[in-house]
Amino acid sequence: MKKNCLFSNFIAIFISSIFIISCSKDTTEVIDYNGKFKHISGGNLINAMAGEPSNLIAMIAGDSASSAIAGNIFNSLLKYDENLNYAPDLAESWQISNDQKTISFKLKKGLQWADGKPLTSADVLFTWKLITNPNTRTPYASDYQLVKKASTPDSLTFKVTYESSYAPALDTWTSLHILPKHILKDEDINNTFFSRNPTGSSFYKLDEWISGQQVTLKANDKSVLGVPLINKLISRIIPDTSSQFLELTADNLDVMNINPIQYQRVFPARKDLRQKIALYKELGNGYTYLGFNLKKTPFNDIRVRQALNYAIDKDEVIKGVLLGLGEPISSPYKPGTRWNNPNLSPYPYKPSKALVLLQEAGFKKNDDGILMKNGKPLKFEIITNQNKQREMTAVVIQKRLQEIGVEVSIRVIEWASFVNRFIKTGDFDVVVLGWSLSLDPDQYNIWHSSQQGPGQFNFLGYSNKNVDKLLELGRKELNVSKREKIYHEFSKYLLEDSPIIYLYAGYGLSAVHKRVKGIKNPAPPAGIYHNNYDWFVPKSLRRSEISAR
Amino acid sequence: MLIGISLVSFFIMHLAPGDVTSSEASFNPKASEESRQKLRELYNLDKPVIIQYGLWVKRIVQLDFGNSFASHQKPVLWERTDKSGNVTKGLIQESLPITLMINLLGICIIFSISIFLGTLSAVRQNTWVDRSITLFVFIGFAIPGFWLALLLMYWTGVSNQWLPISGLHSLGYQNLSGFGQFIDLLKHLVLPVSISSLSGLAGISLYVRNGMLDILHQDFITTARSKGLKESKVVFIHALKNAILPLITIIGLSIPGLIGGSVIAESIFAIPGMGKLFYDSVLMRDFPVIMGILTIGSFLTLIGNLLADVGYAWADPRVRKGLVK
Amino acid sequence: MNIFLKNPLALSGLIIILTILILALIAPIIAPYDPSFIDINSILFPPSIDHLMGTDGLGRDVFSRMLYGAQISLLVGFVAVGIASLIGVILGSLAGFYRGWVDSLIMRFVDIMLSIPTFFLILAVIAFLTPSIWNIMIVIGLTSWMGVTRLVRAEFFSLRQREYVLAAETMGSNHFSIIVKHLLPNSLTPIIVSSVLGIASAVLVESGLSFLGLGVQAPTASWGNILTDGKEYIQFAWWLSLFPGLAILITVLGYNLLGEGLRDVLDPKNKD
Repeated sequence: MKKNCLFSNFIAIFISSIFIISCSKDTTEVIDYNGKFKHISGGNLINAMAGEPSNLIAMIAGDSASSAIAGNIFNSLLKYDENLNYAPDLAESWQISNDQKTISFKLKKGLQWADGKPLTSADVLFTWKLITNPNTRTPYASDYQLVKKASTPDSLTFKVTYESSYAPALDTWTSLHILPKHILKDEDINNTFFSRNPTGSSFYKLDEWISGQQVTLKANDKSVLGVPLINKLISRIIPDTSSQFLELTADNLDVMNINPIQYQRVFPARKDLRQKIALYKELGNGYTYLGFNLKKTPFNDIRVRQALNYAIDKDEVIKGVLLGLGEPISSPYKPGTRWNNPNLSPYPYKPSKALVLLQEAGFKKNDDGILMKNGKPLKFEIITNQNKQREMTAVVIQKRLQEIGVEVSIRVIEWASFVNRFIKTGDFDVVVLGWSLSLDPDQYNIWHSSQQGPGQFNFLGYSNKNVDKLLELGRKELNVSKREKIYHEFSKYLLEDSPIIYLYAGYGLSAVHKRVKGIKNPAPPAGIYHNNYDWFVPKSLRRSEISAR
Repeated sequence: MLIGISLVSFFIMHLAPGDVTSSEASFNPKASEESRQKLRELYNLDKPVIIQYGLWVKRIVQLDFGNSFASHQKPVLWERTDKSGNVTKGLIQESLPITLMINLLGICIIFSISIFLGTLSAVRQNTWVDRSITLFVFIGFAIPGFWLALLLMYWTGVSNQWLPISGLHSLGYQNLSGFGQFIDLLKHLVLPVSISSLSGLAGISLYVRNGMLDILHQDFITTARSKGLKESKVVFIHALKNAILPLITIIGLSIPGLIGGSVIAESIFAIPGMGKLFYDSVLMRDFPVIMGILTIGSFLTLIGNLLADVGYAWADPRVRKGLVK
Repeated sequence: MNIFLKNPLALSGLIIILTILILALIAPIIAPYDPSFIDINSILFPPSIDHLMGTDGLGRDVFSRMLYGAQISLLVGFVAVGIASLIGVILGSLAGFYRGWVDSLIMRFVDIMLSIPTFFLILAVIAFLTPSIWNIMIVIGLTSWMGVTRLVRAEFFSLRQREYVLAAETMGSNHFSIIVKHLLPNSLTPIIVSSVLGIASAVLVESGLSFLGLGVQAPTASWGNILTDGKEYIQFAWWLSLFPGLAILITVLGYNLLGEGLRDVLDPKNKD
């Protein structure tokens, strides 16, 4: 008897306390985020990463988390400005010789490392030597190995001479983080503790790295480009994107990349979120495509490839998978840039034309409506990696192709298996993948017929002599308008040959808390993050450290 | 047995396509194949599997678990100090304590709650108390973990800001007092520990209930009751003591489970534990780490079995008395 | 039988299971839409008359997907448990009947398999073999046979010395027929109970694998992957989380109640 009473009492108290707690919610105060605020330094910016950086020396690390953090710590010789033109970073000017083989960089005066030591051309030479050293475990050496001779005529000048004119050269100098010679000269770059405790020259330096949990950067008062206003950048490691979104809505994150549904459906439905979080969209420099294994039948037949191109409704893919947050493309370049050929348009959705082409290629529909040739159905497998958008894209494509009588199956494969078991071995039919490209238009590594070896990037097996010539010329031509013409023609061939079907160039979608000011909207060509060192958090809007969870 | 496990795991790992060089950089048009080949040579990945296994065993015997491929040479097991006195902590050294903490807390909670619920259930067999406890416990087992986790995170972290959503520490953790830090950690652990203990609760509660039922029907209990002992004394002192005995065995056997963190809970709650470490290592084909975790796991299993046997022998007065004689 | 029907929990378990089984079987008949029918104009609609459980990220009807998903979840459960039970029965019988070095060898193997946390093993293998519904079923089956082995072995140990077994041996029956005709039928209880409970856990494992992206693949619908699809907008598209979550909960609950109920009924000790 006693026990019964005790138990029921316990339950009663438990339930009533839940009610009491839920009912006593604080009324949320309404904060006004619009208004004039003083540009004042201080505050922190919290973002999330799904993976942990492995190594803050970008040339050795291969992962995006590492290069994202390292990008705040180190400078290169050049960078891109908001309109994607070359701008000074460590170098204040540069000159290309008349024979187009030599570039002379002039460094700014008075550059310092975060530890106060001077930054000179000796550091640049040291970095170049490091990346071209065969013992350095870097996958990115090839561009820098094209430099035949590098020298430092004086402490502010760095000169490189190439074997022959190399148009992508300047682009390569925007991504080489210059490392300090005085710290690293006796270190084994592959094993040095510097990778976990670097000294750089850029806006931030490493404050604290709690393994597995967060990386904190704080403002570098000796920064070569000026001290940033936001004092601390905190990157929390949160592997699951749904947890990240919950943290964003609970005010524990300031910045996050969101997906189309969150951008287009969740935020519009939640007034409370829109009040404190602003959304931005910008076109990135990559695209998603469907690629054929050109060495396999029937994909070696251009009519089949073009037919499938007509059979897929790309607008539907953009509307369904991206909720309209993407652009159709017809060349492997970002729409709106000079390299994009404005005279080309994507293959329209014309299933009837697709059937005509397939018929020419010898395919006829049988009684069940399946396309057959020589007794075999037109059937293949699309493989893709574990990426939600690519999966959904494959599903939409599968539906459309089924309608014209093509049998498509889908397989989603984890990345390491994907690359090694299918791509490298050439054992695949069709892939849905994406390219994330540098800003230089050179695409030799992807499309030149010499790049078909195992592990190289022309894994589709594309070979077109005209394209080969254009790619070779494009690498050498330094005159921008001439280069433009070359790549426009290159795009034309690519579109006709249809080795891939361009699916879309998706928008990068960001959610940023309104307490972060200084963001340019609409986003300039370089994106909203290009000037993140100019952002600031007004004093009244800052979060107090201990209360934030 | 250690050899068996290590051999089996080693070969399974190497059956998988790909290795650590197949990371993100492998699909970056700027990265080259020769450098990847060099990397492979460096890690001995180009040698035949038998030789790789032999090399590994040679190092293990000296307690050298090697360095992780994927996270740039972080030592697998324990920290190392380089010549300038810089300490790089080991991967297992960092993640094991976290997983241990969560699992130990979980076990404490499971056992205390299960003993309470199981006993209650047994004492009130077939009443609504018994039925509802059974139902409640079963529901706890049946809920998909990550679903409940997200729901709770939303309810306790976003709608009502009672608890933190993810991670282990709050911002400004270092500014708190020692006690404040402790409370902060506890707040962060409430959800992960609850979610991961929920499924164990069902099994153990049921076990206690059935055990108690068996014992309560035995003669010595009837004797105790007829002697006029208070019911609560009968239940708690005489019956429970006997029912708990096999629980000791269970604790011993759940020791290997202590280091197997739940990948799902750790991903959702952003807790850098052993589960996530293992999962990431599998996807990255980070062999030293995988082998290290499996080896330690099997070692703990052996210890667990041993402790269970010893613990049982010690706790069971019959065995103890027999030994003493 | 009467004890079983009188136990409300076991009874409700049975009712739940039968309901879900029936729904899964008649799915093609009652599903209002083709589960793979994409409609980009109806993306993420909340439940309505047209779509009883709303639509998902590609405009597909969730109710239809849930019905077909029931087929998948149950299929995974049955096949995985079938494989596990088969292996368990074979190994357990051999160990329990022959004892000696056969038993030692098999139990050593069981110990090795048990010391590697099951989920780790499943993860590792699925990551290597590309995830497909068959691979998942096989892998879950291959990693959950250890319990059955132990149970069958224990039963065989106790039954082995019974008179009818000794009688059969004296009469010269071969080992196989003794095992199959005499020992196994009397060991059914633990096998049945653990199978039923195993189905429950297989359903949960599949949903866990879907969370990690290693479960049943698109475009096939499973409760696990519908749940995973919706986890990033749990605050907005509640229907993508609620229905599959509840379905998994109720199904697993049902199997557990049924299993425990069966254990209570079939266990001769409990015949009070």
